[in-house]
Amino acid sequence: MADLFSNEPIPTDQLPRLADDAFVPVDPRYLQVSLTGLALTATVVATGTVVLATQSEWSVLALLIGSAALLVLVLVAVMRVFEVRRLAYQLREHDLSLRSGVISHRVESLPFSRVQHVNIHRGPIERSLGLATLQVSTAGPDISIPGLARADAERIKLLVTERADAVVDDDPPAPSLPPPRPPTG
Amino acid sequence: MIDLSVPQRQSPLAIVFLGLRILRSLGIAQIVIVVLFIMRAPFNGALSVLPFVIIVAFGGFSALAWWRYTFQVLDDELVVTKGIVRVVRLNVPIERIQSIAIEQQLLHRLTGLVKVAVDTAGSNEAEFSIDAVARPVAEELQRRAVTAVPTPVKIGSALPPPVLAEDRVVFTHDGRRLLAMALTTWPLTGLLVLGPLLAFGGDFFNRLPDVGLGDQPFRWWWVPVGIAGFIVFSIVLNIIRVFLQDWELSLRASATSLRRTSGLLSRTSTASSVDRIQMVTSAQNPLQRRAGLRGIELATVGQRNLSVDGCDDAQFTTVLTLAAVTPIEELLLDRRIHPAAVWLAVRNATVVCALLTGALFWLIGWWSPLALTPIPLVWATTRLHVANFRWGLGQQLASSSHVLSLRTEQAVLHKTNAVTVTQSIFERRRGLGRVQLMTASGAISIGMIPIEEAHAARDTILHAVEIDTRPWI
Repeated sequence: MADLFSNEPIPTDQLPRLADDAFVPVDPRYLQVSLTGLALTATVVATGTVVLATQSEWSVLALLIGSAALLVLVLVAVMRVFEVRRLAYQLREHDLSLRSGVISHRVESLPFSRVQHVNIHRGPIERSLGLATLQVSTAGPDISIPGLARADAERIKLLVTERADAVVDDDPPAPSLPPPRPPTG
Repeated sequence: MIDLSVPQRQSPLAIVFLGLRILRSLGIAQIVIVVLFIMRAPFNGALSVLPFVIIVAFGGFSALAWWRYTFQVLDDELVVTKGIVRVVRLNVPIERIQSIAIEQQLLHRLTGLVKVAVDTAGSNEAEFSIDAVARPVAEELQRRAVTAVPTPVKIGSALPPPVLAEDRVVFTHDGRRLLAMALTTWPLTGLLVLGPLLAFGGDFFNRLPDVGLGDQPFRWWWVPVGIAGFIVFSIVLNIIRVFLQDWELSLRASATSLRRTSGLLSRTSTASSVDRIQMVTSAQNPLQRRAGLRGIELATVGQRNLSVDGCDDAQFTTVLTLAAVTPIEELLLDRRIHPAAVWLAVRNATVVCALLTGALFWLIGWWSPLALTPIPLVWATTRLHVANFRWGLGQQLASSSHVLSLRTEQAVLHKTNAVTVTQSIFERRRGLGRVQLMTASGAISIGMIPIEEAHAARDTILHAVEIDTRPWI
């Protein structure tokens, strides 16, 4: 193993750092995608509340529960606004990182050499806005970067697959199959 | 010379083994149910032939299974065709075969046949055995597998003598070790043995002899005696469980793979190539520490993990070395976590317990403050956790925690699939954070460390992964 590569200790301050200011924020229009689902839920809840409050004898209870649910949805929507503002990605030579989370901050990093496959997902709303979600999978965890412009997503996908292949080429070649034997017997 | 390119059938003795295999695949509980059913059901008249019909049908089924089971070597692939209704065709490239073991059990010895165990170390699916064949056939198969190792073979020259590609036995646990294992694990796991009995429900328990304490007045000493009896009962069951599951537990190693076999009634065998091992964890409870034993778990990609219980310290070191990680005691584990972890745990416990107390007040009145008792316990255990937790980052990320049980976790950095740094609100206010190394099978998470340290650890891990060209899977 030792002759394959050297692994001298490197002082931590000389390592390439994942700079906090080099993150690229996702398209702000992704907020619309993110809020559309919530808006649909809110509409259903509001309609249900109104129907129950006018039609049944439990009108007070229905109003209470309905408005509480709507309040929660509004809070979630506010959280989504901040969340989309914080969503950002960073591409480096050898890895891909995603920053997310409002209450709990989170930075996931994924080396290209461990990527198993990459795909691009586009829902109906994303399609209408020209956005795409890039999903990068490894044998372990996956990360998905939403709110990318479609062309960007394609470019990143190409980059990731190229990089992943490049790493495979660096590996020592797999043992080749033995030469075919003449039929015996 | 045996021509393996034509389909070979096993010796008819294999019918017995195939029959046993089918029985085993049915499960013990199901078999007991069928036997009970046959014994208890009122068979009279035409129905009385039913048991014989079942037995004959079963024999016919096994014979059919034997007839349909053929194997041959075609174009450097071992092809096994089997199955009665659903035909299964298993193709194993011969050079992928890690080892071919030739075994003889008692029945084999009486008839001069052998059993061939084919191990491909990697896919569990392809690990199989041919139950009963004549020895020359087995040896020819073994010779083909061994000579198929990609080494230059001179065509036309005399074939090399068969070399056993068998893996060496690293260790085998004997009966005393199994007893020690059973006595040091949590006794209640023994109750698992009762699982199949629950299938009979009340029927089983109705048949237990009635002790007849029904009309006696209650005595206080029944409680401690009952508890002690229950514990002894579960310990006995646990001994039975360990002997059934881990009988002759042995670990074998070849140059590239590890294999664990054990079991009294049904032998299980789990193998993995060393490259597929992603993470190594170990656990040792206070009882095990007294006995000097511990359990090791090797997390592998895509299949069952290899877990070896009841290893002493020397075996622990051996297993770690075989799994290509540095023995944990040679690693420098000198980093600690922030004591704020204690405050966080106590605060969370207090909130939960206070809410619980409030809710319980309506149910049990002034007894409800009893729900606050976990708080000092949480305080004491997290204090101990913070005081004893150590982690280190070199070529591996490793941690060791010790509250009641001693646990260690370690992963070689180049097994990393992703690294995450997270910061909760609590951690953010104190400049702390959590770094998490995720492998393809399991993760190591170190929380409550200074955020700069978490960032530096992340950078170190990423750098290590990106400059390392070793295969990780």
